[in-house]
Amino acid sequence: MNSLEHIVINWVEANSKVIDFGCGDGSLLKSLSRAKGTTGYGVENDPLKIQDCIKNGISVIQQDIDAGLLEYKNMGFDVAIMASSIQCLRKPKEALQNILEVANQCVITLPNFGNWELRTGLLKGKMPSSPQLPAKWYETTNLHLCTIADFEELCAAEQFNIHKKVYLNRRGKTSWLTNCFPNFLAAEAVYLLGK
Amino acid sequence: MKTCTEKIFFDLPLTLESGSILPFFELMVETYGELNSVKDNAVLVCHAFSGNHHAAGEKSEETKAGWWDQMVGDGKTIDTSKYFVVSLNNLGGCHGSSGPISVDPTTNLPFGAAFPAVSVQDWVSAQKHLLDHFKIDSWEMVAGGSLGGMQALQWAISYPDKLKKAAIIASSSKISSQNIALNEVAREMIRKDENFFDGNYLAQGSKPKQGLKAARMLGHITYLSESSMSKRFGRKLQNPETRIDTKVSYEVENYLQYKGEQFAETFDANSYILMTKAMDTFDPAKDFGQDLVECFKQIQAKLFIASFNSDWLFPKEYGKDIQISAVKAGVRSSYVELEGEYGHDSFLFHSDNYSASLQNFLETNDELS
Repeated sequence: MNSLEHIVINWVEANSKVIDFGCGDGSLLKSLSRAKGTTGYGVENDPLKIQDCIKNGISVIQQDIDAGLLEYKNMGFDVAIMASSIQCLRKPKEALQNILEVANQCVITLPNFGNWELRTGLLKGKMPSSPQLPAKWYETTNLHLCTIADFEELCAAEQFNIHKKVYLNRRGKTSWLTNCFPNFLAAEAVYLLGK
Repeated sequence: MKTCTEKIFFDLPLTLESGSILPFFELMVETYGELNSVKDNAVLVCHAFSGNHHAAGEKSEETKAGWWDQMVGDGKTIDTSKYFVVSLNNLGGCHGSSGPISVDPTTNLPFGAAFPAVSVQDWVSAQKHLLDHFKIDSWEMVAGGSLGGMQALQWAISYPDKLKKAAIIASSSKISSQNIALNEVAREMIRKDENFFDGNYLAQGSKPKQGLKAARMLGHITYLSESSMSKRFGRKLQNPETRIDTKVSYEVENYLQYKGEQFAETFDANSYILMTKAMDTFDPAKDFGQDLVECFKQIQAKLFIASFNSDWLFPKEYGKDIQISAVKAGVRSSYVELEGEYGHDSFLFHSDNYSASLQNFLETNDELS
């Protein structure tokens, strides 16, 4: 189990109803279901990943997230998850507003573009890459990359309450030093947002 | 593939949704593969509007491959080397099960129009007796496309603990007024045939073949997509030497004429009317104050819901609606939108993503609850 799964399992209450936007092969939902007895639904638009979800025994809904987050409003979800997907959406701010309509608690993770390795990569004059952002600029699905500072500024401006947050370094670990200088040292940030 | 075809006589009364009672009934059944020792590999496949018990394999040189032959068989999506697959002709059909062409024991004449109206729920009630017949506790999966998908959904609602999975493909929880309208045009074509005799044509020694043919031609168009018709026929002219009729100009006309004629030879007009009525009236939410979510709270089975992009008869919104209600009701359910170029008929044909998704659904037995 990776550290993201650990964090989310700790945050999610037992027997919650969970929706995971951009659920991939459904492994996070599967871990959550095993550990916390959650009822989970994944939303995914890649046919091969959907096949994997079904093989994993995970309920999955084929849907383009950009097109219809609000369809899942009033469906009784306790928790909505959007892991490493927010930067791929056409309108991230609206997506965050909408996901907070879907569930009272939202787990959002994002790759931190302010990480020092990416900054030094950019200093060399080329689009940087990292384990969190491996794709070349011409192949990436990321449209709206941001730093931790950018994201938290948006949350403050839009009054999205950050209930919990964890900063992970490039090895996927938390550390005292990373917590001191998250915008420079963290490779990924995990948030529990609420209204 | 081990195949058995049998007509099963059920010497027990079946009370229909309409209140009518069939004192006994017969079902024509075909099975593929073998039931395992723990009896947990049984799959029921339900036919769509004009299908019958012959779902897979070629019975003889005269008979066509079964209606789901691309999906059911040894090594296929529903793999008959692993699963025991049961297929039947539904009540009210005309391929061996009790229906309008059966003889009414009280008159010794064919039932004809007197055969009672049957609903999707009645079909499922009748199918339930197959579990007892084969001494199976529950189906591993009930699957079907179109009207067959409605039966799979009804199974999950009516007998929650008698199936583990339901595959509802190119289907709907109720059809639209446009669908009902198309069905009514087809029925009107049959009724207006001078050989219809208010449905009692068999007693008159005739058949309303022209009406049935025209109804089928209309229906056939709705099962295809514009692009599949363009690709297959385009505006190609029919070779005059092979045309079915001198009035025919284009290949597409010839094809519809041929298919319609073939259908009218083998299908019964009263069955046609009865089956379209069953489709029109299907609405499982009606017993739950029109609340589909409340209705779906009965369901314990896992659902697989699939729609095809080129299907304009049962468009993908129908599948999505089932999925949304299933999520609201907390039913474990997946929804996929498949490419499928053949319109509504796409559910009949193998395609990679369709087959892989359905096979993964059937073969995954997770411990999640």
